[in-house]
Amino acid sequence: MSEEKRRPEDDGRDFANAAWSIPSYLLSGMVFYGGAGWLLDRWLDTSAFFPIGVVLGTVLAVYLVYRKHGR
Amino acid sequence: MSLLAEVSGNVTAIGYGLAAIGPGIGVGIIFGQGVQAIARQPEAYGLIRQNMLLGFVLTEALALIGLVAPFIFQAI
Amino acid sequence: MIALTLLADPDQFKAPTPDELFQLPPIIAGVDWFTKPVLLAILSSIIVLGFLWAAFSNPKIVPRGVQNVAEFGYMFVRDQVARPFLGKDADRFMGLLLSMFFVIWVWNMMGVVPVAQFPVASHIAFPIVLAVSVYVLKLYLGFKTQGVGGYFKNMMFPPGLPKFIYVLLAPIEFLSNMIIAPFTHAVRLFANMFAGHMLIAFFSMVGFWFLFEQLSPLGAPIGVLGVLMTIIMTGFELFIMFLQAFLFAMLAAMYIGNSLHPEH
Repeated sequence: MSEEKRRPEDDGRDFANAAWSIPSYLLSGMVFYGGAGWLLDRWLDTSAFFPIGVVLGTVLAVYLVYRKHGR
Repeated sequence: MSLLAEVSGNVTAIGYGLAAIGPGIGVGIIFGQGVQAIARQPEAYGLIRQNMLLGFVLTEALALIGLVAPFIFQAI
Repeated sequence: MIALTLLADPDQFKAPTPDELFQLPPIIAGVDWFTKPVLLAILSSIIVLGFLWAAFSNPKIVPRGVQNVAEFGYMFVRDQVARPFLGKDADRFMGLLLSMFFVIWVWNMMGVVPVAQFPVASHIAFPIVLAVSVYVLKLYLGFKTQGVGGYFKNMMFPPGLPKFIYVLLAPIEFLSNMIIAPFTHAVRLFANMFAGHMLIAFFSMVGFWFLFEQLSPLGAPIGVLGVLMTIIMTGFELFIMFLQAFLFAMLAAMYIGNSLHPEH
């Protein structure tokens, strides 16, 4: 959408979009990297990768939201 | 001594309930104050919006860490 | 001390468990699928159908009676749900969004209707069906407007990020849009209705137990408190029921809108 055709409603829509997608981004970051860590743990018979994966996924999801919406 | 009260069922649910109090209050404060800020200064909308979203992400992350924390401590 | 032990003694007062609240027996013995939520869901569809039929089958220029009420609901859904997210495509999807909003609202309102008293959406199967149908529609519209490859490219690779970061972030985007988003869409409605029903059942159980089953001078104030909390929570639930129906329709409009006009 070009800049001059932006209406005030578009801002509200973008904001709602961002706010509603944030929880699913955080959850999916945790699930994906936590799941990868869990599988690594099962494979290597360790217990450290799952927490590391969860924290890494959270950090990456926060970074993704920051780059997408924080500008 | 007789038992005064007993907890049955899954204790992690209570843990998540406690862990969700803080982020709940935090998200309320962020959006409440954010809406107030936009109402006071509509021309600063872009800046306020951006900071509202960042604060919301960081607060929501805490709530979701509370959700997965029981699984982490089970694994360890 | 005595009042507290009275509260805690498991033989005296038992809080209602999810099993006895939500695992309802079949209405007709032998027909296993036909339980109370199914009956209420069918009833709600008939109510919504009848209501909208009465309102819009023979519309007048100057609305009167039931058409007035239905037009108020239509205006609400159009101005608060459809137009902000769909823009000029709003009218195409009004049928879906309006019926979805009304059906979910009536489903939820069944939780406070005196004889029914069971919010249909507190069985997760019902929200899942609606969420899956919205999900299929979202995918279909996305594939139609952007092409299959373009849809996934727009979704997984938002522009303006350093190259190597895409490897780490694309799985998050994919999982978030394809699995977690429809999942939370259904669970949000289900969990709110489930928790609300449990809460009302618990407080009314407290009131009934301490005022009727086991009336005692120490228990009576707790019973009165239970009744008061039931009334307060019912009012609160009425608000939540409306809010969740609105949010479900709003998120459906948001997903459809994102498929129709991808962000650049």
